[in-house]
Amino acid sequence: MSVDLSMPVLVVDDYKTMIRIIRNLLKQLGFSDVDDAADGSEALNKMRERSYGLVISDWNMEPMTGYELLKEVRSDDNLNRTPFIMVTAESKTENVIAAKKAGVSNYIVKPFNAATLKAKIDAVFDE
Amino acid sequence: MGVKPQVNVGGLSSRMSFSEESSSSRHVSKNDEISLVEVLSLAETSIGSLKQIIETFDSKIYSEFRAIAEQISSTKAEIAQISTQDVSKGHIPDAGQELAAVVETTEEATHKIMEAAETIMTADPSDISNYYTTVNENIMTIFEACSFQDISGQRIARVVETLDFIDKRISFFAEKIGAGSIDAPKADDENYYFDEDERQRAERKKDQMIYGPQDTQDAISQNEIDNLLNK
Repeated sequence: MSVDLSMPVLVVDDYKTMIRIIRNLLKQLGFSDVDDAADGSEALNKMRERSYGLVISDWNMEPMTGYELLKEVRSDDNLNRTPFIMVTAESKTENVIAAKKAGVSNYIVKPFNAATLKAKIDAVFDE
Repeated sequence: MGVKPQVNVGGLSSRMSFSEESSSSRHVSKNDEISLVEVLSLAETSIGSLKQIIETFDSKIYSEFRAIAEQISSTKAEIAQISTQDVSKGHIPDAGQELAAVVETTEEATHKIMEAAETIMTADPSDISNYYTTVNENIMTIFEACSFQDISGQRIARVVETLDFIDKRISFFAEKIGAGSIDAPKADDENYYFDEDERQRAERKKDQMIYGPQDTQDAISQNEIDNLLNK
């Protein structure tokens, strides 16, 4: 895995349990610096204060959804190169196409396992 | 502007007020709301009071009014059988409590399982004896926490029963009032949403493509997603 395991990772989800699951999976994969946010707007504020090496975000959150966060990130000159993986239960073709157009780096459908998370992170950094 | 139609029946009057945001007849203010049974009672009373006058005019008209009165009386009895009080004060709150309990129980169980897993994950394997005890104790905790599935299954079964109860009664009522021949409102119809807040939430979900988890046959797989991304 050609990934810098010390880079800060931001996990964005409105369910604390899901944040805890992803945190633990990342920890098992060797990531040591994992931060979290409860919705898109909190994530955007954190991203403007600190440079993250990877964002892993849910789609369905309020007040700012993961889709809105992705578009905000891609339209911000300082943030638009940050790898962005969507991890969501939204599994319609329409969602995947919209996320792709908005510039998502990878897309994982829930429920997922550690192997899928690892494979998608690897794929993003191997490109 | 609010629309305040008057219902004047046989010298008795009652007022139904409609919400400001819609003139749709679906939106009745809770403060002034009158039930269908009350409307039928008013109709029944008014027909009764007109009976004596009608009798003096024409026996055919009288018999028509009598038939209408009997129909109203019969409909009232059928509506009473639906026991709306039972649904609104019993079944729906019970179903809500059951679902809230499912959410609480599953959340509690998830935290117990995750705590146990995290304890195992961070246990020190250099002390084999302690490590063995820690792993065994926490595996037992995980097994115990998984018992939530049985209880949650029973609670959800009760909610399904409630939905079935309500479905049967609404279908019965719809049939009685002849609603079967009326097309159900569609999301594009002006009066589809109960209020402005509901309409805005629905539009937000549509705009943000929030559909939630799909049924297995409708959801696309991770492989299909990968193919779409790699096109």
